[in-house]
Order: sequence, then C-alpha cells, then structure tokens
Amino acid sequence: MISLDIPLISNLDVLNNIALIKLYRDNLPKRQAEQLVLKLLNRYKLEDIAYKRSADLTDEHRFCVMLLRAAMINEATIVIDRPFIILHNSQDSSFMKYALNTIDDLYNQCHILDYIWNKDRYIKDNAS
Amino acid sequence: MKTFVEKIGVAAIDMTGSLKATLLFAIKVVFRMFDRNAYNSAVKMVLVEQIYFTSVQILPLFLTIAVIFGSILVIILMLVVKELGMVQYIGRFMIGFMVYELSPFITVILIALRSSSAINTEIAVMKVNKEIRTLEAFHIDAMNYLFLPRIINGIISVVFLNSLFSIVVLATGLIFSNFIFQMSFDTYTDVLINSIYFSDIIIMYLKCITYGVFITLIPIMFGLNATNELTSIPVSVLNGMVRVFIAIVIIEVLSLILKLI
Repeated sequence: MISLDIPLISNLDVLNNIALIKLYRDNLPKRQAEQLVLKLLNRYKLEDIAYKRSADLTDEHRFCVMLLRAAMINEATIVIDRPFIILHNSQDSSFMKYALNTIDDLYNQCHILDYIWNKDRYIKDNAS
Repeated sequence: MKTFVEKIGVAAIDMTGSLKATLLFAIKVVFRMFDRNAYNSAVKMVLVEQIYFTSVQILPLFLTIAVIFGSILVIILMLVVKELGMVQYIGRFMIGFMVYELSPFITVILIALRSSSAINTEIAVMKVNKEIRTLEAFHIDAMNYLFLPRIINGIISVVFLNSLFSIVVLATGLIFSNFIFQMSFDTYTDVLINSIYFSDIIIMYLKCITYGVFITLIPIMFGLNATNELTSIPVSVLNGMVRVFIAIVIIEVLSLILKLI
C-alpha cells in the first residue's frame, strides 16, 4: 500500500524504512537487507538518499521509497492510494509509470485508486 | 458533600482502571519476552540501538554524576558515622544505604529523566504521524518491534548502570574511608564483604528489573494514548512522566516492605 496515510517512519532513514520489511518479515540479516535496498535504490540512481530521512526527501524521492517499501513484500500486490496527493507537483502519470516500470519484476499486480476527476491525467499520459 | 465523595469515587475508579491496564500490559510484555519467535533481525537491531542510546551514550554524564554525587554523599555519610561513633557500622551503611537503596534510586531517576521522556515523545509522535498504522499495514507487530526492545533495554540499562553506580560509590568510599578513618584497603573490603547479604542483593536486582520494566512501559502506554493532534504530545508526555515517578515511589516502598518481611 502506498498512501500518505501510511507514511515513512520518521526516525528511520530511507535504507531502514525499506529494509525493515525484509528484516522483520523474512528475518534477513541486516547487512544483506541493506545491500538489497542499495541495489534497488540504484535502479532509480538514488543511492545518495539512502541515509536521508523522510523530511529531507522530495515528493518524487518519497514516492520511490514508498514504492520500494511496498515492493519488499514477497509477491506483492501494490495499491497506490491517490498518487497525485503524494506527487502533487506532477501534471500526469509519467513519473509514476517510470517508477513502476523500473521495478516491475518485484511485484505481481499494481492497482491505482484515484478520484474520477484525475482521469484525464492518466488518459493524457496514455495518449502520448 | 455528595459531590466530594463522588469525586473521590471517580478518581479511585480511574486509578484502579489505569493500574489494571498497566499491569495487564506488563504481563503481556513479560510473556512476549519469553517468546523466541518475537526476536527477528529488526527487533535485535532496535534492541542494540536502544541499549546504545540509553546505556552507552549516557556514560560520560552518568559517570560524572556518579563520581560527584557519590563522593558528596559518601563524605557526608562518613562524617555523620564518625560523629555518632558508629564506625563499626560503616560497611552496613555503605552497602545497605548507598548500594541497596540510593544507587538504584539515583540510577532510575537519571534514566527516567533522559530515556522515559524520550520514549514517551517518540511513541506519541509516531501515533500522531500515523506511523503506528504504517507498522500495522505491513503486518509488523508494534509490541515486538517497538515495545519489547525498549522494555528489555530498560531492564538491561537499569541493572547495568546501577551496578556501575554502586562500583563508583564503593570506590569513592575506599578513598574517603582512608582519609576520614585511616582505613586500609583490606579492612575496607573486609567490612564491606561482611555487610553483604545475598537476599538484599536479590531484592536490589529485582527492584532494578521492576524499575526497568515500568519506566519504559508506562511512557509507551501514555505515548499510545496520544490522539491525532500535535497538542496531545506534551499532554501525553506530562501524564506519562508523572505516572513514571509515581511508579518509582511505589516500587521503592514495595521493596522496603519486602525487605522488612
């Protein structure tokens, strides 16, 4: 689930926010989990934000981190709740598409829930 | 008159309810402590971090306070003992008063001032920011991930820092007993060893463990009582810290009663 109602944990850095799922649910050793997260952040060329906290991230970076965190669940079905609230500077869904395509091997399905009046923002993107 | 009696009744019901909730939560935590499945990489990581923040980061300040405060109290105690002509009881005073009573009390006050308030604020902020909900969404048990490491850390920190405080006090006692009573190292250690009772040590460490549980458990409970408003954070910390100090006093009284039995 990716939603502003399920925020990143403020006293953990990006690395630990994403690694937490693997550490807790799969009991993965800390070093192994951190290496995995760094490798995944590298897909977005975002290794430099690994030790930043939520408050220091841009909207796009925060979205990628939340997406990676959600994808840490094995055979994940990702639900994105009103993505333009998280990416409120985005005009269309192009960044969302890029972010999802970059890690499409990590999840089974993705569902996006949004207001009907945001429909054009997706259609416009699909047309181009 | 009726209103006054009603007020007392309401206060008594509230207090009993709060005490019951705290004890039930404590029992739940203690049971979880012995569940091997509760300990995974994430929990172990938090536990190590918590021990570092509570027991290691505080060391310079704690040792300074232990040396200064311990020395002053030891000097006062020894001068009073000398004035009263009770030098033969110096070991009993040092062990019975300084080590068994004062050392755990000062240790727990220092840890409560520093860590209990931090834990209370941390949990309240997490509640307000909906981060507790994040844990639930990812099926991370807050009891295992957030509460258990903090409570275990409370126990370890109070036991460890209390032992350290006791060692510092006894070491300063060695120096000042030499100055005030011209007591040699061997005489001093003999006097101390003769004053140690195994049952008192057990009671002291039981008291430390109980302190450790409640000075972390109560702030967690009050942190969770925070609402979704930022203004509920100071209220939660204030209420939590007041209850922590009440708990410290109650544990101290109970340990004294246990000793008398």
